[in-house]
Amino acid sequence: MAVIGNNGAGKSTLLNTIAGTLPVDAGELRLADHDVTHKPVAYRSRWLSRVFQDPKMGTAGELSVAENLTLAEHHTGSMSLRGYRRKGQTAAYRELLQPLNMGLEDRLTTQVKYLSGGQRQALSLLMATLSHPELLLLDEHTAALDPQTSHQVMALTQKIVTENQLTTLMITHKMSDALTYGNRLVMVQDGQIKLDVRGEEKQRIRQADLLGLFAD
Amino acid sequence: MLITSIGQGLLWAPLVIGVFLTFRILDIPDLTTEGSFPLGAAVTVSAMIHGQSAIVASLLGFLAGCLAGWVTGMLDTKLKMPSLLAGILTMTGLYSINMHVMGKSNVPLLDQKVLTSYLPATWSVDLQTIVVGLGVTALVMAGLIWLFRTRLGLSLMATGNNAAMSAANGIYTDRMVILGYMVSNGCIALSGALIAQSNGFADIGMGIGTIVIGLASVLVGEIFLRGRQIWLRLAAMVLGAVIYRYLLTVAMGLGFPVDDLKILSAGILVIVICLPLLRNKLQTKQQLKRYLKQIGVDEHATTSSLKRQAPTEGLLSRDSK
Repeated sequence: MAVIGNNGAGKSTLLNTIAGTLPVDAGELRLADHDVTHKPVAYRSRWLSRVFQDPKMGTAGELSVAENLTLAEHHTGSMSLRGYRRKGQTAAYRELLQPLNMGLEDRLTTQVKYLSGGQRQALSLLMATLSHPELLLLDEHTAALDPQTSHQVMALTQKIVTENQLTTLMITHKMSDALTYGNRLVMVQDGQIKLDVRGEEKQRIRQADLLGLFAD
Repeated sequence: MLITSIGQGLLWAPLVIGVFLTFRILDIPDLTTEGSFPLGAAVTVSAMIHGQSAIVASLLGFLAGCLAGWVTGMLDTKLKMPSLLAGILTMTGLYSINMHVMGKSNVPLLDQKVLTSYLPATWSVDLQTIVVGLGVTALVMAGLIWLFRTRLGLSLMATGNNAAMSAANGIYTDRMVILGYMVSNGCIALSGALIAQSNGFADIGMGIGTIVIGLASVLVGEIFLRGRQIWLRLAAMVLGAVIYRYLLTVAMGLGFPVDDLKILSAGILVIVICLPLLRNKLQTKQQLKRYLKQIGVDEHATTSSLKRQAPTEGLLSRDSK
């Protein structure tokens, strides 16, 4: 599901409310049959993952690639007193990173702060999907990347989401992305949903139609 | 003189490790130090006077420090106070608590057995101090090295590095911050307990300037020992504590009166903050020179304009993530 809308329309508010960084004024929020209306971010993360707009936000820069993956692997047990390095971990991580085609599999012990923006965002994406969340939130996750990297990360997103059959909510400014990806399109304006199309109906929509709606 | 510094430095090492935990791992300058250090001393000395053994009393000092850290942690996370203010509040409150614990502003130990009394009496005081300091510091280091190998320790590091990302990955960051404050102040109080036993008294004013001592030692240690592994970083803290003590001893040997030690401490902190900055600047300049020579450009034509853009990353900067 792709969400578009002009600045200040309420896209990010929607996303932050779901993620738990913004408190809810009214109504109820249910995730995989659990009431999470007033639950903290960490609690919701059992069912939910998020890729931030800023590549620096989704990863811990001081920690290594492997350590970041460990954090993302299980969203429970963060207080466990068991050692976090396990046998066979390196091989497993290499296998995970290989399909990204970014050379990350050879940089497991590199601190994430030394990676490029594209590499960091690809890693964030992989981390967000590692726990097989019920809902994946993408917050304009390609907006801070150059056009080519942005395209690469978008293709990767498509691949991971389809392979894992993940319910995904993507916020974007790029109308072309909103039209190309996903099977449902929602347009937000002034805090209200202005357009909600899915399936075949969505296929028929063109960029010009959207622009017309924006102008209203 | 060096031997004495090593002994004293080892007694201060838990404090430096404690400051390292909040300052480097959690990225918080925690002023609770100034209160939890004398708290550890006060609790330990009082417990010993009331008949507890030195070991039990030191442990009580450690736990009291944890409690102080818990208070700061709650103020910081649950009441959403800026961490500096949270530390100042706890530190100020602890002054009264320390007075109540001690009953008066200076409590001497009489003939109670201190930790060094468990060692053979034939050993010199310096040797006894080193053995006790080494033992306690090794214990603290071993505990922390174990902690940072567990998932909990990893969560702690992640929280200090990127709280938003940690929360998104299921880490309850508030709990982590509180835990960090507790362990940190426990270590600091333990250091207070050791110093009180070494001095033979607890004093209400012994916490003044400890945060400066701690920060300076952290930075000194990092100048001499750099690395990413946790054991190396902790070892750097111990080294920092020893070198810092040595610097102060040298200063006293030069005839500085005891009252001037605080301004000296502050001066040392300023210097160790500036040194790495200067070193970075110098390195960038040299690298640029070498590079320009390589590509055969007249350096005078370009360095002046490029020099200004050379990045120098501050030691205390938070934006290096």
